This record gives sequence, C-alpha cells and structure tokens, in this order.
Amino acid sequence: MASRHPFWKSPALRNLLILLAVWEAVGQLKLVAGGALPPVSAILVRFWADRADYPGHVMATVWASVLGFVIGNVAAVGAGVLFVLFPRLQRLARGVNIAVFALPPIAVAPILVLTLQGSAPRVVLAALGVYFVTMTATVVGLSQYDTRSADVVRAYGGGNWLVMKLVRLRGAIPDILGGLRIAAPNAVLGAILAEFGGGGRWGLGTYLLGSLGRGEPARLWGIGLMATLIAGLSYAVFALISSRVLGSTRSVTLNTALPPGDGDANAPLALKIALTAGAAALPFVLWWAFIRVTGVPEMIAKTPWGVVDYLFLADASANARAKLMAALAQTLPITALGMVAGLGFAFLLAICSRMIPGFIRAFMPIALVTQTMPLVALTPLLVLMLGRGLSVTLWITISVTFFPAFVLLVQGIQRVPQSVLDLPRAYGASAWKELRMVSIPAALPYLFAATRLTVPRALLGVMIAEWLATGTGLGNLLNQSRGYLDYGMIWTVASVSVCLSVGFYYAVLAVERRTLTRLGMQVVE
Amino acid sequence: MSGDPGISLRGVCKTYRGRGSDVVALKDMNLDCPPGSFTALIGPSGCGKSTAMRIALGLEDHDAGEVRIAGQAPATATASGITGVAFQDAALLPWRTVARNVALPLEVLGRDPARYGHEIAKLIELVGLKGYETALPGQLSGGMRQRVSIARSLITSPEVLFMDEPFGALDQIRRRQMNVELQRIWQETKSTALLVTHGIDEAVFLADYVVVMHANPGRVVEVIEIPFPRPRNDELYSSPEFHALTDRIARVLHGQ
Repeated sequence: MASRHPFWKSPALRNLLILLAVWEAVGQLKLVAGGALPPVSAILVRFWADRADYPGHVMATVWASVLGFVIGNVAAVGAGVLFVLFPRLQRLARGVNIAVFALPPIAVAPILVLTLQGSAPRVVLAALGVYFVTMTATVVGLSQYDTRSADVVRAYGGGNWLVMKLVRLRGAIPDILGGLRIAAPNAVLGAILAEFGGGGRWGLGTYLLGSLGRGEPARLWGIGLMATLIAGLSYAVFALISSRVLGSTRSVTLNTALPPGDGDANAPLALKIALTAGAAALPFVLWWAFIRVTGVPEMIAKTPWGVVDYLFLADASANARAKLMAALAQTLPITALGMVAGLGFAFLLAICSRMIPGFIRAFMPIALVTQTMPLVALTPLLVLMLGRGLSVTLWITISVTFFPAFVLLVQGIQRVPQSVLDLPRAYGASAWKELRMVSIPAALPYLFAATRLTVPRALLGVMIAEWLATGTGLGNLLNQSRGYLDYGMIWTVASVSVCLSVGFYYAVLAVERRTLTRLGMQVVE
Repeated sequence: MSGDPGISLRGVCKTYRGRGSDVVALKDMNLDCPPGSFTALIGPSGCGKSTAMRIALGLEDHDAGEVRIAGQAPATATASGITGVAFQDAALLPWRTVARNVALPLEVLGRDPARYGHEIAKLIELVGLKGYETALPGQLSGGMRQRVSIARSLITSPEVLFMDEPFGALDQIRRRQMNVELQRIWQETKSTALLVTHGIDEAVFLADYVVVMHANPGRVVEVIEIPFPRPRNDELYSSPEFHALTDRIARVLHGQ
C-alpha cells in the first residue's frame, strides 16, 4: 500500500491524530469504566514520573527477546532447510512442529520456570514463539523456487545441494524475512509471558504484574504501550529490511511451472505408518529427554508417564481429574463462543470489504497494529475497562481471533481477480448474488485457515484472562497450582492445553480438507 | 564413435504416468546430430521436442533406449562440462549481475570463476552487452536477458550446445537479428548445436538438418537437409529456394 502523499499529509496520520484527540477527550471525561482509560496526557505524565524504572525492565525483556529470537530462528531456518532436503524428516517432525505451534506459552511458562535457571525460561519461550513461524516461512520459500533456474544448474550436472545453494536459499530470503517480521513480536510476547511465570526482578512482564494490583491505569497503559512499541519496532525493522532486499530478488518473468510436489505418494504403506507413528511419538520422546537432560528431580518435573500416573493412577487422581474437568468446563465454552463470534464477525466484515473499500483501507492499519500488540500487555488494559467478569474473557477471545482472521480473509478475497468479479455483474447479477457466487466461496479456504491458526491464540487469550482477571478455568488452575506447589497439576494443565490445541487443529483440518476437496479448492497453508 | 562430439538418441521412449491415463511423450525416437552440425528440432506443441532435449541433458529419465552425448551418458557428459544450454526463458538468477550469471555454470562445475574473467568479458562483448557487466537482470530488456543466457551457455566452451526456443519470447524483428548473431557465434565455436523451435523460418535459416516431429505419440517423421551455404544473411529470407523449403516443412508438419 504505497502512499502517494507525503507522510505529514497522509490519511494515516490524520486518522492517528483524530484517534489521539478522541482518546484524550474520552479519558479526560472519564467515560470508560470510571477512568479505566486515562487520557493520553496522563499516560505520558505517568511515564515521565516512572522514567527511572523503565530502562532496567526494558533492557531485561529486550535482551531475553533478542537472544530467544536469534536462537529460535537459527533452529527454525536450519530445520526448514533439512525438512526441504529430506521430506521424510519433515513428516517425522510434524508432531513436534504442530505441538510447538499450538502450545499456549502461558501454560509452558511455569514449567520452564520450574526446570530452568535464571533468564533461560524467557529465552526458551521467546525462541519457541518464533520457531514455527520462521520454519514455515523457510519451507515455503525454499519450496517455491524458480524451476527454470534449477534446470540450468542441473543441466551442468549440479545436484540437489548445488540447487539449494545457488538457487533456492537466496530465493527464499524474502519469505524468510517475511517470517522474521511476524516472528519478532512473538519473541517479545514469549519473553514477557515467561516473566509472568515467575522469577526475576526485571522485565516488563514483572513490572506489569507488580503494577496490576495497585490500581494505576496510567502506569499499566504506559507499560502496555511500551511493550507494543518494542514489538512494533521489531516488526518495522524487518519490514524495512525485506522491502530493501525484495527489489533485486523478484523474478523478472512469471514462471508457470510449479515445483514438483510431495514425491512420497508411492512410498510403501509400512513406511507411511511408521512415519505417522513416529511423528505422534516424537513430542513425548523429546519431553522425556528434556527432563532427563535437565536432571530436575522427579518430584518437580513430570515425564509423560508421570502425568498419566498423576491423572489416573495415583491416590489423589480422582480429585485431580475433578478439578481439571471443572476448569475445562469453564474454559472451553467461553473459548468456543469467543472464537465463533470473532471469526463470524471477521468473515462478515471481510465479505463486505468489497462494497466499502474505503472503510477497509482505514481499518487495515489498526488491524495490523493489534497484530504486533503483545496480548499479555493488552489483557490488563481490557480488565481495567471491562472488569473481572466473564465479558472480559469473551472480549479478549473475540479480539485475538477477529484481527488475524480478518487480515487473512481480506488478503484472500483481494486475490480474486477483478475479471471474475465482473463476470456475474456483466450478466446483471445483484451485489448479493455476486457475493454468494464469488466472494463467499473464495473466502471459504481462508476462513478455515484462520480457524486453524487462531485456536492456540484463543486458548492463550482465555487462559491469560483467567490467570490475571477472572480467577476461573484452566488459567486459574495453573496459577493456583503454582501457589500450592502442585507440580503434577502444572504439568497436567500444560499437556492438556497443548493436546486440546493440537486436537482442535486436526479436527478443523479434517473438516477443511473434506469440504474444500468437494468444492475443488486448495488448502491454504 | 566415442570421442565424437555428436548427439545420438536411439529408440528412446518416455511415458508420463498420470492418474488414470498415461501420456506417451516419446515413442521410439531416433535422432543423430553429427559432430559440428546444427540441427533444428521442430514440431507442434506437445510433440515431445522439449522432452527429448531434457532427456538428452539428463534432466529427465527415459523409459527405454540409449542416449549418448559425445559418446558418453548424459550425466557424465554434462558433469564434465562439455555441454552448454539455453532455455526458452533466460532463467537468470535475479540477484546476480550479468557477469555473475554468465559465470554460474563454472560454479556448478566446481571451477573458479575468477580465472575465467577474460572469457566472461569476451562473451558479454560477443553478445553485444559490453558495459552491462554489473547490471541486474531486472534492469535489462527481454532481448538483452536472452543474450545473457546465450553468453552463459557458451562460457564452458561447449562442444555440444542445446537451445530450447531461446528466442521464443522475442518479437519477429528482434528474433531475426538474434538468429544472425547466433549463427556467427556458433560458427566461431564450431560446436554441435541442437535447437528446439516452433519457427519454420528460424529452423531453415539456422540449421543444417531440420528434424520434424509429430505428436501422439511424439516421434520423428522426417529429416530435411538444408543446403544453403554459410554465412547466411537476411537476403536468404526472401529467396525462392528458402520459401520452397519452408513450404515443404510446413506440409510435413501438417502431415500432408
């Protein structure tokens, strides 16, 4: 979206100034929940008063984020290259990849704090936050190479490795940079969540948690905006780098030949079964190995078997099961309700975007900013405004599913060529008929993709709200168990929430595959 | 015949197995390109002419038959650096300068591009791009990019040169200019050349032998010798002998 105006005359700046003015007025008049939304000026004044606190906290968070970002991305790019060179390895690692994607960081934070020392939990959580995004971007980038250039290398006797070195790696850089751009705010979110999980005197998460009970909205807003600024800057840095690099890398002509697909369709059935079984088992093997390697006592660190024992075999297992079920009964309905509302709203608005393009142009930047806003910084602010009831959980779930789904859907609908849209109109179809025949079917694959991709975020949002605000459900159970030193329950909640995420992901995928195959459409990765 | 830098395909068969239906791309294909000759492979879309070339280069496997390049198997021949290749699309790496794109085959063959600086400069001059050594492909026109790919195909001083519609994307005027240049370059290098093309006049202008193929299944139906002396120039296009030959090839192409 290149703007034709200079920045100081652009509509974006005008909208921003209007937003700030409205914010200031609303804050001064205490229109929201009796002053829960302070005016911009009050936040700035408070920020100035707290200025001595910030450097230490910011430094701690940034340091952990950067370290985790580097480690996670090196692992992700390395894994991506290996997956592309050896597709069977990717099959085998699929379980681990999905688990890393689906795990709600807040559930893992207490576990990492239990098993690792110092700032290691923050670094690990930041690394886990970036791994999946960058790994996927690497695989996509390396897979969509220019087959014609690869032919030139092969025609001189070059093998897979030379094609990788001379054509694919360099060609994947724009995709990898795109991945890094999205991953950067994730690293900040991971680091802050680990600070929540306990330990350490410094860090924005610690600062936020410490300020939460003191009823100072202006300070909470200051911390939240600071976290957003850090995440937004990290996003902007990579956006700038990729726009610089992209100039020279775009292919000069369009390649119509697609790279060869998965060549493993003819593999023997036994091998396929072995790979699938291995993929399912590998996460548990890694979990077990992690505990053996860190050497944490069995009392604190539970193996997969330890969790089964705690939940089904031990003396207190009936009690534990009852607590878990009660928590799930509180968490799951609200998550489902919030997701349905968020996705439905996003779908409706995206479909209508064809009719009111001006609104979308104004709205997209706001949607993109919320993508970089660390969820954990947003939650306390929503708690301030909406109180500690159920509605805050619902609103958080709606907001975390709505924005990514909306962005994905709008991008999907925009890919429909104008000529396809013109065709029904040329035969005199009404706007509604055009929607029904073109836009809605075109948006369907993206709705499925958005559903799959937002499940972990929705669960994370609900758990953060429960932990910080409502005192119900899985989030609260996790927080309580930390207080009671109920290690078995901490591990149980963590593994159950990951399993739920993965299970739901696959359920959506199954429905998606069936529906889209019937409609002759492709699954969006 | 080992040691001869010729191309020979004997009884080559290739079938693509799709879901439910098989497509016979080549059936019992025979092709002989004598050393130092220029052969044009012509035929309708889908007759397997590009497939034949890709098999000769070792880019695709064949189901039956024998392929020899200078008496060697394709993989051995290409890896020893005696072949050169130019595709329909220039297929330049967009992040490499003209000079570094020309040097790409050297890197694939494990040779040190720094020692070929003189050859690279000479070839860029030969294709008329002197002064563009450090330009990126995105800054060049379509015709210039195609000339870079011709320079690239010659950097290994190939004894056998493969070209798959190298000027297919150019307009007629530009194409005729490039054909004159290609003839000049080929005569200087004295290599064996195989050109895959759609254009009858291009084939007649450039080749010693025009090999006509038909589709379903892909096969050679006739080999026509082109007797015109070299160097050939633009006047040839308007001579009656030229038109007689193009008419004859057109009739063979249409199965008459």
